This record gives sequence, C-alpha cells and structure tokens, in this order.
Amino acid sequence: MHGLSLIKQAIRLKPVSRIPWVPFVGVHAGYLIGVDAEEYLKSSKYMIAGLSKAIELYKPDGIPVSFDLQLEAEILGCKLKWAKENPPAVVSHPLVEGTLLSSLKIPEAHEGRIPLVLETTRTLRASHPEIALYGLITGPFTLALHLLGTDIFMKLFEDPEYVMEVMNFCTDVAVKYSEMLIDAGCDVIAVVDPMTSQIDPLSFETFVTPFASRIFDFVRQKQKLSSFFVCGHAQQNIEAMCDCRPDNISIDENIPLEFVKEIALAKNISFGGNMKLTVVLLMGDADDAKQDALACMDSGGNIGFILAPGCDLPMQTPVENIQAVSELVFSQYLQDIARNLDEKESKLDIMNMKDYGQSDKVIVDIITLDSESCAPCQYMVEAVKRIAPHFDGVVEWREHPIKKMEAVSFMSSMMVKNIPTICIDGKIVFVSQIPPQSQLIEAIQKRINEKLKLRIKSKRSEILILGETEKECAELTKKVKRAIAELGKNITVTVVADKAQMNSYGIKKGPAVVTVNYKMKSSATVPSLDVIKEWVKEI
Amino acid sequence: MNELLIKLSECIEFGKINMASPYPPQMKGQEGADEITRRALEEGVPPQDILSNGLMPGMERIGVKFRENKVFVPQVLMSAKAMSTAMLHLKPHFLSGAAKQKGTFIIGTVLGDLHDIGKNLVGMMVEGNGYKVIDLGTDVGSEKFIESVRQNPEAVVGLSALLTTTMVNMEKITREIKEAMPGTLVTIGGAPVNNDFCSKIGADNYSPDPQGVVEYLNSKIS
Repeated sequence: MHGLSLIKQAIRLKPVSRIPWVPFVGVHAGYLIGVDAEEYLKSSKYMIAGLSKAIELYKPDGIPVSFDLQLEAEILGCKLKWAKENPPAVVSHPLVEGTLLSSLKIPEAHEGRIPLVLETTRTLRASHPEIALYGLITGPFTLALHLLGTDIFMKLFEDPEYVMEVMNFCTDVAVKYSEMLIDAGCDVIAVVDPMTSQIDPLSFETFVTPFASRIFDFVRQKQKLSSFFVCGHAQQNIEAMCDCRPDNISIDENIPLEFVKEIALAKNISFGGNMKLTVVLLMGDADDAKQDALACMDSGGNIGFILAPGCDLPMQTPVENIQAVSELVFSQYLQDIARNLDEKESKLDIMNMKDYGQSDKVIVDIITLDSESCAPCQYMVEAVKRIAPHFDGVVEWREHPIKKMEAVSFMSSMMVKNIPTICIDGKIVFVSQIPPQSQLIEAIQKRINEKLKLRIKSKRSEILILGETEKECAELTKKVKRAIAELGKNITVTVVADKAQMNSYGIKKGPAVVTVNYKMKSSATVPSLDVIKEWVKEI
Repeated sequence: MNELLIKLSECIEFGKINMASPYPPQMKGQEGADEITRRALEEGVPPQDILSNGLMPGMERIGVKFRENKVFVPQVLMSAKAMSTAMLHLKPHFLSGAAKQKGTFIIGTVLGDLHDIGKNLVGMMVEGNGYKVIDLGTDVGSEKFIESVRQNPEAVVGLSALLTTTMVNMEKITREIKEAMPGTLVTIGGAPVNNDFCSKIGADNYSPDPQGVVEYLNSKIS
C-alpha cells in the first residue's frame, strides 16, 4: 500500500499494516541540498530539489510542501527578519502600528511567496502521486498574533470584539490559501497554530474554536483531509482542538502521546507526533532516534496514528537520524530488535568474558532475536545445527534469543551489536549473514587447530621438579632454570613439593625432573647441567 | 494587615487594572490596582509596604497558578499590566530611596533570536516580585550583557532562547559574561533548553517557568 493510502487509512481509524510516517521537513530540505533557509524559502527550484532529496532519503508516506508560518503574514505587511538556519521571524505587527484591519486584503495566488509554494506542490504532485502532500497554513490565532503582536493576549479581555474581527479575517485568509493549496494538489491541509498553546481552554473555545472549525469544515467540503498542529504546552486544549473536528491532530513532545491518543480516539480523530526534536533528533544519534521513534510507535499503535517529529525539523538535523527512523518504520524486524534491546539493556549484568572459550570444547554461540519468529535467525541456527555432528563431541552450540534477559546480558558482554551473530569461543565471527556450510566448518576447524596448538605448546613448555619438600628441590630447580636460560628457551618451571603427586608420577624419591611429555627423566639424583640441557633441548 | 493592601493583592492576582477595565468580570466597576495604589500612598501607607504586602503577594499567587497550569499567558499578562500600573505610582519612591527593590535582574533574548513573549513574562514576574529589571530586549550579544553587568555588578543575568539554533549562543554569552565579570550568576530558560543543557554550558540555573526564576533570585539575592 502506498503512502497516501496508508495515511488515509490511519486517518479513517482503520488498522494499518505499517504505521505511516510524515517527517516535517521544512528548511531542513535546504540543508539537504546545501542552501541556507532564506535561499531555500525564496526559490521553488530549491524547494522542489530539497523535497525530492528528502523523499529519496527518508521514504515518507507524506511530506509538507512548505513549513513557513510567516508566508501569509509577510503578504499582510508584517516585516520579516531572515536567518540562515531558521525560517524568518516576524518583527513588526501592522495592526498595532497604525494599519487598519479594514484595509487588509485577503492574499491572492500571485502574491508574496504563494506562487513558489503552489509551483512546488504541482511539481511534487506530478512526480510523487503516491505520497500525501501536506499543505501547511498559518493557524488563525498565530496569524492574528503576527498582526497584533502580544497585545492580542490582553485584548482577549479588554477588547474581545476586536479580537473576533481579527480572527475572522485571519480565517478568511486561511480558507482562501487552503483552497489554493488543494487546487494545486495537496491532500491534507494542516492548520499550524502553535500560539494557541499559550491560552486557556475557555479562551480557546471562545476565540479559536469557531474559526478553526470553519477551516476544517471547508476542507471537508472540498473532500480533502485536515490536521491541526500545535507545538508547545497545549495539553489543556487537546479536547477543545478535537472539538474543532479536524481529521487529525499532531502534537510535540511537550504533551504525552498516550494522553492525546486517549482523547483523540475517544472522539474518533486520528493523531500524530511526537518524536523529540532537539534532544533526540537534532542532538542525539541514530540509535537514540530509533528508540524514540519506537517508543512513539508503541504508544501510538496501529489505529489512527501517524509517526512524525514534534514540529518542523531543525535545519541541521543529522540525515542519518531521520534515515534511521525511516528504516525502522519499514522493518518490523528492526522494530522487534530495538524493542527487545530497549526493554532489557537497562537491567543488564555485564559478564566478565576474559576466560570465555578456554574449555576443551569449541563453543559456538548464536545470538538471535528468536529463531522461531525471525527468519534470518532461524537459518543461522539451522546452519550451525547442520554442521555440529561433523565435529562429534568437540563442538558445542547454543542459541541466545535476546527475548530472554540473560541473552541480552550475554550479547552485551560479547559486544555483539547485530542480530543474528555467530561467535566461536567468544569471538564474533559471522555478523548478520548466514555463512555457507564450508565457511562455517572452516571457521570451526581453524579454532580447533588453534586450540590444539595452544594445548600442545603449553604442554611442551613445562618442566616439573618434584620432591617431598621445597628444600629438597631447591638445587635442582636452580640448575634447570639455568639450563633453560642458557639455551634461551621459554619454559615454565613448576616445583611440586608433595609426596602424593610424586607418587602419581611414579616417583619414589625426590628431587625429580619431569618434562611435559610426562616422561620421567631422572629420580633420586641431581644431574649435571649438561645432562639437563640435553633434556631441555628435547622440549 | 491593611485592608487596602489585601484588596491590591487581589487586583494584581486577577489582573484588575483600573476601575474602567472590564476584566475580570467579577470585579467590574470596582477600583483597580491604579486607584488603590494611589489611595494607599495618600493614606500614608509606606511605599515599601505597598510593594511587599500588596503587589508581591498578588504576583506570587498568579505565578504559582501559572506554574500549575491553572492560568495561561493572557491572565498573567493582565496581572503584569495591573502590577506595572501600580508601579508607576511607586517609581518616584524607589528613586528617592523611600522604597528598596530586592536586587537587579538583567534579562534579554540571546543573539539571533527575536522571540520575546517568554522573556517579557519572566521580566514582568520578576519585577512584580520586588526586583529592578533591566530588559535588554531581543537579539542581544555578549557585549551588551557585559556592559550592563558592569553598571550593575551585583545583578543576576537571565538569558532566553526559543530556537534550537540560538540556544547554542547561550553557551558563548554565558562564558564571556563569566570571563569579563567573574562571579556573575546566569540563569537560563526557553522552550528548547533544560537542566542538562544548563550544566553543560556552565550556567548557574535553569527554570522552566517565571516563578522558578523568582525563587532562584530570592535564594541568591534577598
């Protein structure tokens, strides 16, 4: 199912096979093609190139055509201050600087930067019919705040009728611009009204609800979909937002997703959000991004949820972080892995693996998600199972499915990062790919040979001096050490002052020399240095 | 305590500016902060009492309600407006020394950032709690902060930022203020910043709401 259908499905509250995802790419698209925010927002060529790049990199199900809450304000006479890494900021408010509301005109399609957005919409519509295009408009309260400045807050109480007039005008602007965006090819009209987060529910119902509802009714009448975006601490207004009857609401990390889910679904409205913009997507790494996306997906569920960042992506958000989210969205398998690791990593017991793999047998460990539910894991386990009988009794294998806590500890202790992985005697040998039988046999054989060599080497390089007491062995020990030193050999000398052990080597009286092939060289005497040297040479 | 001051603190808490003001509806037609402050001064109530027992308790109550999400920005702005109306009558007494403010707070939105709603709220709340506030505005660089600290060496500095791109300027400004004027306390706030970021950049305090800044100042200055 392609992106647009998936989003429609989610918005209609039908279960989805995969959670749809809409990265809010605004000026970040400029970053993807190496132009600054001002150049980007002033050129349809850059907007088309940047968004095409974003679609290629992030494989979204839906994408905003522009994320610019200053576009309408600029046409209405607000001065903008442009920046390199951010959308511009509104720096003047015409209605408090002498402009009359009655003199303001509703923007036309040829004014300001509207033509750029419409052209971008048409081009993307043609090149990507499968993706949901989001047309973003400035919400009426935020636009009213651009026109009136923060005076609007006090005017809510001091001059409520005037505020209603301004809101009505801003809503006319919103409806008109929505119509242009829909006619150019947008599927979803997103009313972005972050400033409503600053007011209480009663003020919201009085000053926002009638106007926002009018926009959503209009979109419905045009048979398109709508979404209501807020960022910031807007928890108090979620219910009121739903009562405006949008098709979807989208929120940022300031509001718990579970909270929004409960309210929205109870009112039969789909919802979206709320990956953490700064601490995770901008400043974290790909793993952080995956964990955060997964947490959102697990809270959101597969009915009525659209995964999205909390708001407009910061311009310099690392590409790999958003790609990591995209990969996760498309892979149930990666989600399962991330979910298991996430749950268990915090409770880990890291084991000391220094002496792992020193037993006589060769140990083959297979770290899997669970060979019953993960196909690559299953094949890897089968590959090992198949060759084990070739090494009758010498090779022992174990599966470590990380759905179990001990397995996660084991995995972390072995520093295994990918699943499935084969370790031989504690060393990572095969990662992710299932080795052909010959390679697997070869790797195990190599380890057997290594172990054998080690064992032979260690046995050859030992000389035992046996006696009843250490004193008895002293002179012989000195001589043996000297012989070894003179011959430049690397041999360990072990003194065993123990009657029982002497007996076990068949020695009746000390001091005695035994070389590692366990052949008695002398007994009840201290041989000359030259004789000892001959023995050492044999080793 | 003086009945007038209790009434004044209610005007501040509920944002009753003057008699003509229609807000809040339940106080319609009553005297507001403007009239009551003037009357208190005429009746000889010491300016310091008006500040400490009239304005400050009202500001503190609205600050706590804001923190608890019982009221939002519009209500706080109405309280702040009532407060500043009252302050107009008290200003001459601060200048003459008849009333003292607790200390000085310098505030500004950092370089590159033009957002001022949060900064203004903090400024008004701090002023209403008895501090002298020097508001340097928006898009303020290190030099301007340092110059202001030089003129007010005991002042605490507040930095505000709304953007992820400008929050990084807080680090440089904090460092440069502390290099130029060692010992100066810097408190930060704004949507993208948090406690971790505060400790990372070497600032002294982070507050998620204006009342937090007031409490920090009270713990450090008064």
